Amino acid sequence: MRRNNILKKEAGVIAIVLSTMFIVLSFSGCTEQQNGTKMEIKNPTTLVRYDIGDAKTLDPADAYDTGSSEPIFQIYDTLVTYKGNDTLTFYPCLATEWSVSNDSLTWNFKLRQNVKFSNGNDFTAEDVKYSFDRVLIMDAPESGVSWILGQCMDTNSTIVINDYEVQIKLTDPYGGFLSLLPYTVAAIVDKDYVEEHGGVVAGTENEYMKLNPMGTGPYMLDHWTRATEIVLNRNPIYWGGWEGKHPEKVVIKYADEPATRILALKNGDADFTYIPYTNLVDIMGEEGIVVHPFDSFDIVMCVINTKASNNEYLADGEVRRALSYAFDYETAIDTAWNGYASRYAGAIPNGMPYFDTQNNGVPLYNYDLPKAEQILDAAGYTKNYDLDDTLYRFNGTTIRIFFNAGNAEREKMAIMFRGALDEIGILSSVIVEGWPQLLHRMYTTDDWDLMFIGWGPDYNDPDDYIFPFIASADVNGDTYNTGYKNETVDEKLLEGKYSADPAVRAAAYKTAFDIYIQEPPFIFLQQRQYIRPWRNWVQNYSYNPVREWYFYDYYKAYE
Amino acid sequence: MKTWEFIIRRLILLIPVLIGVTIITFTVSHVIPADPARAFAGGPKAQPDVIERITKELHLNEPLWTQYFYYLNDIVHLNLGKSYLESRPVIESLAQYFPATLELTIFAMLIAIPLGIVGGIISALRRNKLSDHITRIIAIVGYSLPIFWLALMLQYVFAYQIPILPLEGRLAIGMNAPLSITGLYIIDSILTGNLNTLGAALYHIILPAFTLGFATLALILRMTRSSMLEVMGMDYIRTGRAKGLSERSIIYKHALRNALIPTVTITGLSFGGLLGGAVLTETIFNWPGMGRFAARAVLGFDFNSVMGFTILVAIIYVLANLIVDILYAVIDPRVKLGGG
Repeated sequence: MRRNNILKKEAGVIAIVLSTMFIVLSFSGCTEQQNGTKMEIKNPTTLVRYDIGDAKTLDPADAYDTGSSEPIFQIYDTLVTYKGNDTLTFYPCLATEWSVSNDSLTWNFKLRQNVKFSNGNDFTAEDVKYSFDRVLIMDAPESGVSWILGQCMDTNSTIVINDYEVQIKLTDPYGGFLSLLPYTVAAIVDKDYVEEHGGVVAGTENEYMKLNPMGTGPYMLDHWTRATEIVLNRNPIYWGGWEGKHPEKVVIKYADEPATRILALKNGDADFTYIPYTNLVDIMGEEGIVVHPFDSFDIVMCVINTKASNNEYLADGEVRRALSYAFDYETAIDTAWNGYASRYAGAIPNGMPYFDTQNNGVPLYNYDLPKAEQILDAAGYTKNYDLDDTLYRFNGTTIRIFFNAGNAEREKMAIMFRGALDEIGILSSVIVEGWPQLLHRMYTTDDWDLMFIGWGPDYNDPDDYIFPFIASADVNGDTYNTGYKNETVDEKLLEGKYSADPAVRAAAYKTAFDIYIQEPPFIFLQQRQYIRPWRNWVQNYSYNPVREWYFYDYYKAYE
Repeated sequence: MKTWEFIIRRLILLIPVLIGVTIITFTVSHVIPADPARAFAGGPKAQPDVIERITKELHLNEPLWTQYFYYLNDIVHLNLGKSYLESRPVIESLAQYFPATLELTIFAMLIAIPLGIVGGIISALRRNKLSDHITRIIAIVGYSLPIFWLALMLQYVFAYQIPILPLEGRLAIGMNAPLSITGLYIIDSILTGNLNTLGAALYHIILPAFTLGFATLALILRMTRSSMLEVMGMDYIRTGRAKGLSERSIIYKHALRNALIPTVTITGLSFGGLLGGAVLTETIFNWPGMGRFAARAVLGFDFNSVMGFTILVAIIYVLANLIVDILYAVIDPRVKLGGG
């Protein structure tokens, strides 16, 4: 009896506590600022972006990750740049004019005058030569990013004509040369400053420059607290000036947890953030938050191992064509990417220069299982292997589909693809491995059939895509170790690579496409869309897939 | 055995423990066929010379036992290798993140220990009364709620719906850290007389410290309650009462001291546990401590950082156990250190 009374008392107390909690939460919900009134702008002169992934270095000579590129782009300038969302036009930055010789080997740049580094030192042609030579001598020991300049320049390439004119003599007439220059590796450093702080040592990082950047850009480093934030203040002597509306301070914060970033955006701490596709539902329709997808140059592919030593069937281009018809592209976009992806045709993503050479960006292959079966039957790969009263092709050989652990999108697509392959009589299995294990398999063992993988831009030129994917290992292509080789395709891709003539390049890439797409070493799946949710008080933001975040252009105001 | 002999003996025992930890972590991270050099160097975009340099740096071309020898040799020289995630020595990363975790843990324990002990005593002395029921509910809630859920709810209520506390971080957005003396922002702010930073640091630690301390509070509360109940029924308590000792003297001088031994065990081990594994709290509150660093290292396949973290946690656990053992003797003179 006494026990029962105690239990009743306890139940009563629990009920009171829970009710109180419920009431507090219910009332607190009423405070949400969704009454049509605009939320007061937080930190009106400071732009705050919450992101994942801290910077590794602030030295442009060794930076090769997006976390490092973002602050470097605010602190340093390059000779030429992109603006707004335009990826097809080069705009003057530290160079005001440029020209190229007929043989595509010699480039002349006239430099902007009266530009100073944020420490007050003058910017001259000597700084340009020093910056490019430094990249090549240092050789990016951490990241290897120096390959970008190294593919067509050496330390004799940059010649100072006078204080405000440089000439660059390329070692090869690289067609994508100008596209290399807006990238961080080609940012201009202050020669005197670097020399005062360690200078250039071959094959060695400059620890000082990693943490103490000094450029001609609109902002300069206030502080960098690792895994927390990078804070940038205005460079008061920025050559672009401070007339008009520009943020006084920029804060790039790092927060790993999506829920934290979502709340930061909702409560106005964050002006921008990154939110995974699956969490977008939490902010959709939220007042004061803008959600807009943009086509990025990040692409997703299913790589096919074409080496006969691994799988004689996949070595046949007809089988690879059939596989390209067996993937349900649209369903994958809906289910794996929540609709935030689009299709592309070949090795050059839509929007990049020369993408129109790839069937105008219109995919040649669509989901068509009867067509896939027809191709396989015609090629002699009939269903000849009886397994539990079901007939399979390839004498029952299992096609192994790999993806890296933790990648939910690729997992969904791999499972979906297995189902489709089963329908056309191909046995398959889905295997998940950690990223280092997967790399070991791809590059050391050749023991794999299909692999879901992705690629993002190093710079805005098709040669950064089509050459490493489609050109063979014999001409230093084949980044994914597919084993694909077609001599005519190699010839055309080299032609496109080593010409600055747009007509020559376009013709070469078109011919290459017409050939490789009929024996594809990849199934070209999706071009990802990026979503950068932002507060509606941020003005003048535009997304550029090759040069993101130019904070100088943005400001905070209701308009 | 004298106290210092006991301490030295236990510290010597740390060596085989650490060797065991290194063998396990090294084996687990190295036996699976993998290409860590290419993963660190950028995956498919990795440049051959960078892969070669990393392979050489990590001795990846040599037999496993040789690699382990190099690794052990480096540890002896306090070189935990390079963090490929942060592009700096692992020891530098740990030196930055450990004080942040230590600060958070200390504040969590400052919340958990006094509230837990006082709550436990009240609960025991007022058994089956309203206050006992309330503390019981607090305890049940404390150790039943998943920590990530509690953290998210606290953020949602106090940083969004009723925005009276900051959402995340150690300091306000864009605020400079105080001059680093200890790495503990609150201490450093006091030492440098920086009141603004001190205020911001205290303001920012409330939610994460409460989240982290809440489960420990619940454990301490229940442990103190049950120990107190047990001790209060002992003969010597009855004797004390018969002798006419005041209730206060009985509770605080005689009962509590004896009841605290299990509480000390729980507290010590919790302290070690929180220092080593506040991954969820640190991740949600964006607290740049060791837990968050370890989680990022695991996800980024940064083996050097993971192994460095593991070794440090092992040391912390052993030291926490040692301190607990010493405290036993301090609280209860009948306990002999190292006695068989």
